[in-house]
Amino acid sequence: MNDKSRREFLLKSGMGLGGAALSGFIPGFGYLTAASAAELIDPLAPKAPHFPAKVKTVIWLHQNGAPSTLDLYDYKPELVKLAGKPIPESFLKGIKTSTQGGITKLFNSPKRQFKQYGESGAWFSDLLPNLAQHADKMAFIKSSVTVGATHDISILKLNTGDVNPGRPSLGAWINYALGSANKDLPSYVVLYSGDREPSAGSVNWSAGFLPAVYQGVAFRPGASPILHLDRPGGLAASEQKNALALLKNLNLKRAAYYPEDTELQARIRAYELAERMQATAPEAVDLSKESEATREAYGLNDEATKAYGEVLLRARRLTERGVRFIQVVNGGADNEITSWDAHNSLEENHSKMAKLVDKPIAALLADLKERGLLETTLVVWASEFGRTPWGESGDGRDHNPWGYTQWVAGAGIKAGTTFGQTDEIGVQSQGQTVDTYDLHATVLQLLGLNHLKTTFLHDGRSERPTVVYGEVIKDLLA
Amino acid sequence: MNRKAYLAVVLALSATVTVAGAADEKAAADTAAKAEAVLAGKTATASSGKTEVAKANFEKNDAKLPLWSWQQVKSPVAPNVQQKNWVRTPIDAFVLAQIEAKGIKASPDADRASLIRRATLDVWGVIPTPEQVNEFVNDRSPDAYNKLVDRLLASPQYGERQARRWLDLARYADSTGFQNDTTRPNMWRYRDYVINAFNKDTPYDQFIKEQIAGDEINPKDQNSLVATGFLLNYPDNYNSRDLVQRHYQIQTDMTDTIGLAFLGTTVGCARCHNHKNDKITQKDYFSLQAFLANTSVDEKIVPLVKGEQEIQWEKAQAKYQAATKDIRDKQKAILDTVREAGVKYHKERYLTDSREAIFKAKEQWTPLDRWVNHRLENISTERDVSGYLKRAAEDKNFEGHKPELVEKWAEYEKLTAELKKYDNLKPTAGSRYISAATELGNPVAPPTHVRFTGVHERPLDEVQPAFPAALTDEKPVIVPTATSSGRRTALANWIASPKNPLTARVYVNRVWNQYFGGGIVSTISDFGKAGAKPTNPELLDYLADSFVKEGWDVKKLHKQILLSSVYRQSSAHRDDAYKADPDNKLLAVFPRRRLDAEQIRDSLLVASGKIEDKVGGPSVFPPLPANVNVGVNNFDNNPAWTVSKDWHDHNRRSIYVFTRRSVSYPMLEVFDPANPQLVHSKRDVTTTPLQALTLFNSDIVFGWSQALAGRVINEAGNDDSARLDKLYQILFARSPESSEKSALREFLSKQEKEIKNKTVDGKFEISTPTGLKNAQGQDPVHLAAFVDLVHTVANSSEFSYRF
Repeated sequence: MNDKSRREFLLKSGMGLGGAALSGFIPGFGYLTAASAAELIDPLAPKAPHFPAKVKTVIWLHQNGAPSTLDLYDYKPELVKLAGKPIPESFLKGIKTSTQGGITKLFNSPKRQFKQYGESGAWFSDLLPNLAQHADKMAFIKSSVTVGATHDISILKLNTGDVNPGRPSLGAWINYALGSANKDLPSYVVLYSGDREPSAGSVNWSAGFLPAVYQGVAFRPGASPILHLDRPGGLAASEQKNALALLKNLNLKRAAYYPEDTELQARIRAYELAERMQATAPEAVDLSKESEATREAYGLNDEATKAYGEVLLRARRLTERGVRFIQVVNGGADNEITSWDAHNSLEENHSKMAKLVDKPIAALLADLKERGLLETTLVVWASEFGRTPWGESGDGRDHNPWGYTQWVAGAGIKAGTTFGQTDEIGVQSQGQTVDTYDLHATVLQLLGLNHLKTTFLHDGRSERPTVVYGEVIKDLLA
Repeated sequence: MNRKAYLAVVLALSATVTVAGAADEKAAADTAAKAEAVLAGKTATASSGKTEVAKANFEKNDAKLPLWSWQQVKSPVAPNVQQKNWVRTPIDAFVLAQIEAKGIKASPDADRASLIRRATLDVWGVIPTPEQVNEFVNDRSPDAYNKLVDRLLASPQYGERQARRWLDLARYADSTGFQNDTTRPNMWRYRDYVINAFNKDTPYDQFIKEQIAGDEINPKDQNSLVATGFLLNYPDNYNSRDLVQRHYQIQTDMTDTIGLAFLGTTVGCARCHNHKNDKITQKDYFSLQAFLANTSVDEKIVPLVKGEQEIQWEKAQAKYQAATKDIRDKQKAILDTVREAGVKYHKERYLTDSREAIFKAKEQWTPLDRWVNHRLENISTERDVSGYLKRAAEDKNFEGHKPELVEKWAEYEKLTAELKKYDNLKPTAGSRYISAATELGNPVAPPTHVRFTGVHERPLDEVQPAFPAALTDEKPVIVPTATSSGRRTALANWIASPKNPLTARVYVNRVWNQYFGGGIVSTISDFGKAGAKPTNPELLDYLADSFVKEGWDVKKLHKQILLSSVYRQSSAHRDDAYKADPDNKLLAVFPRRRLDAEQIRDSLLVASGKIEDKVGGPSVFPPLPANVNVGVNNFDNNPAWTVSKDWHDHNRRSIYVFTRRSVSYPMLEVFDPANPQLVHSKRDVTTTPLQALTLFNSDIVFGWSQALAGRVINEAGNDDSARLDKLYQILFARSPESSEKSALREFLSKQEKEIKNKTVDGKFEISTPTGLKNAQGQDPVHLAAFVDLVHTVANSSEFSYRF
């Protein structure tokens, strides 16, 4: 940034210039010394949180397609009892459904079995045998609520807090508020399993109205995760080195005419960073040095879990390297079952999808723990909504934004607890609910950020990540 | 820092105290509002509430006087200045007066080569050719620069460049966004409308009226119909099950867009509550929205005049239709057997209030029902029925399941596979129809209500179309036509009126921002109280006033700025100016600026000699990097990105690159392009390693460097020194300095050695210049080193900036 854009940036960040210039204090950034003030020239320079952070890295596991948490965690004996019967009217009070006369009979998969695990006694179904072993690491949110009847708007909300595109994603806000902890890698990375990019694409990791520099960088499958990482036209490394030396020389000559121009200086540094990234990014996703035991644990030796396992192993490697926000979107189990979206044949869908994620996520939790990383890493298991207790087409389930389960694990979390609940058959949340905004506020809190004070001035409004909502769920925090 | 200490520090700073305090207070209020919303069991649109923060009111505004931007535009007289010789236009006097007040001087003119590079980039969006540079540099006539400006403004490239900036505001895209991200096949016509409007120098007031109300004002004029594409660029979700909410969200998008783009006013803030900073009440907001209440979209208007594009499209389509008639007929016959049930099933999948409208007899439709049913018709496809068939065949538990459907579905699928084989016959770009706003032939609009906290399910009092009461006493004159409410015409007339204090100010400020990388009002789309104050209010009013007096003549406005001494100044660093005005707010030095995304790509294309200068037409799909796999567009099952077959299309200007909302074109994406989800007021400049990776490693950019190397050699011959001169002339409009030249020569010999070393390893993979006219007798190693040199120089900062 040049001085002018830096000034604009400071203003937009809600840092009244007068205040900042006079005292060196900038809300959201703490006190600045002259040296750190200069660092604002670099939009990704590390910035101090509002208060000490518990979490360095967030791994955000988006369960794409919306799993039925009634079939995973939220055990409802009453549903088993009432299966096959019409749903009592009282459970539908206050909600708008999209199927005319389509609220059919309650459904329970006959194969489903629940058991309690760990000291906490958390319920897990037979679909998640591996994850169940980590019951005591998790804090469950069993009263999740959101908005929307269709995936796209609710996924958008899960990531950006709005049902219309245009707002920054949570990762972008974090990137903006905290900057990068490792300049040699992007600090906000998006991983996806499967060969196709997630639908709706970059809108879900967009910087919205924040400067584009804060958006997520999609890591593609394969050895070269970032676009344009490989040298072009058969250029050898030594040739590139020569070329970049010449480039620096030319750029320095030009920059000398503009001694106060920090933007031109930043551009010279950007090429140096890019050169380093050419080595660090492939190394960060190179799984060849991982032990056979690790590969086995993440499910890399099994076709059913390989794709997701690789992505989670990449996530762990990126965590080690200080990436701040890692957004993981699962792909499908096969060509037919492309997400958790089981409107019919739930049993087939969920047994395959659960298989896809169960072992890899369990391995990730174990691996993070073993390496001491879980003390500074937050793992979030989230989805756009849940699914209804009544059946759809007999053996599937419809979308449920009124009550479903998500969980968090890792740094700063009161492990082995459960927050909130749904009604007796799992239609609606009861008591205190947790909306996307509350989850976002809680994640920000763990990163040392007050969601009310993480602001950016856009079109006359001081915007924040949680729109006008959000409450930190203190009961989830250790 | 604990909270107490934190607050103590914050409290010590009056400038920030309101920020923190207001946020807390707001949070409490919002929690209450949210609780209420949850109790009501409604689905709140998250955008419905945004935190407005009352900014410290640093100027003691006379409470009786309206905000500066709401006062009538004045006609200021150019101030007296000392450096009279420097003043060429009144603009210069306004700017110079402030510079002199600081005790410094303005800068002298830039050298001619810099000036033509700067002006060509600003007006056309690309670098000039060496011929154009030489012609101007060597033109000794006194009006050489005037002639240059006239030539620049007369070229169609002026329209292409200006249109791009306008499309930023119009949140232009070729697709709807959201997960389905459906193609909008006709939107390119709106893009072409904008290009042509600038090239024809359509007066700005007319430009406004056409875009807001073209279909009402001039329903028989194709151009006016297409112009309403401005309203229709909203992101849309064809999947939405809540059509009543869609109606509200679309009106909201249109209203907020008009507020920001034309009026530079954040009216959207007042949707959920009275505006926190500006005197716009919630009632004012919904009264504005009422102007749009009856607006629908028609995407199937047959063009009045068939052009070459339509003829070609229909030809291709006819071929496809003929080849596939048999298959499609058979498919239709199958679907016909379940059509009734399928359509009914689809219709039942909407939320309660939408269903009410959908299942109501046509005679009983309210205006809102009409809107909902029209929407349903627009988004209904054969896929609704085939989806039903699939379900009914495959899912034994489904209520519509019948065993005989299994075979039908199998047959249908076979036919689909068969049909797929003919995909290559389908027209890949362009369209047969035009899209336009419409009021569905009915002048009666649905009622508009104030909505409690902006939530569509909480209507309060009904409002009538009206302008914000604190801004104007004027009442809208609404004259319904036989087919339309006349509301949008009334709105457009008010916005495009010379008396509107905002319209001209906002627009001239946008143009100023384009040239100087910052507005006179730095918050380009916020002329409200929370926005910035003008740094030079007299200049702003002078520009706005003369703009209107000259008949809203956009080219004249550009010309006036281009001819000014302010614009012609050198960008060379001056210690005195830097010390007196480190942010260069006063413009005593010309502000250099990084090229924007399109300028970089298009200029590289110009340098390589590969640019296609065709103006207009359907959007094109240049190649994506190999490791981008964007899959299919869910809604119509077509690929989201089919690379254009005609390679000429790969080298079109960036404005013609298909804007798919879910797939930013990677080369542009890293250079801070417009975000098509939003009214994008100002291009950011960020400097990142991903930009460096893109420019240095992209095979596409490298290919352009190879072509540029070939061009240089063709034009400069075999002498290295002449080649270096030529290269610099093309890229920078100057010759290399001697120190640069020696660095470049040194590089060549070093790089040759490296390349030779490669041959020793047996990995003889070298780059060659492309398009060489005469490769005979050329040393391939030397050529390869030269390609690397060209590529490196094209990567240098000087190329990506205009000084």
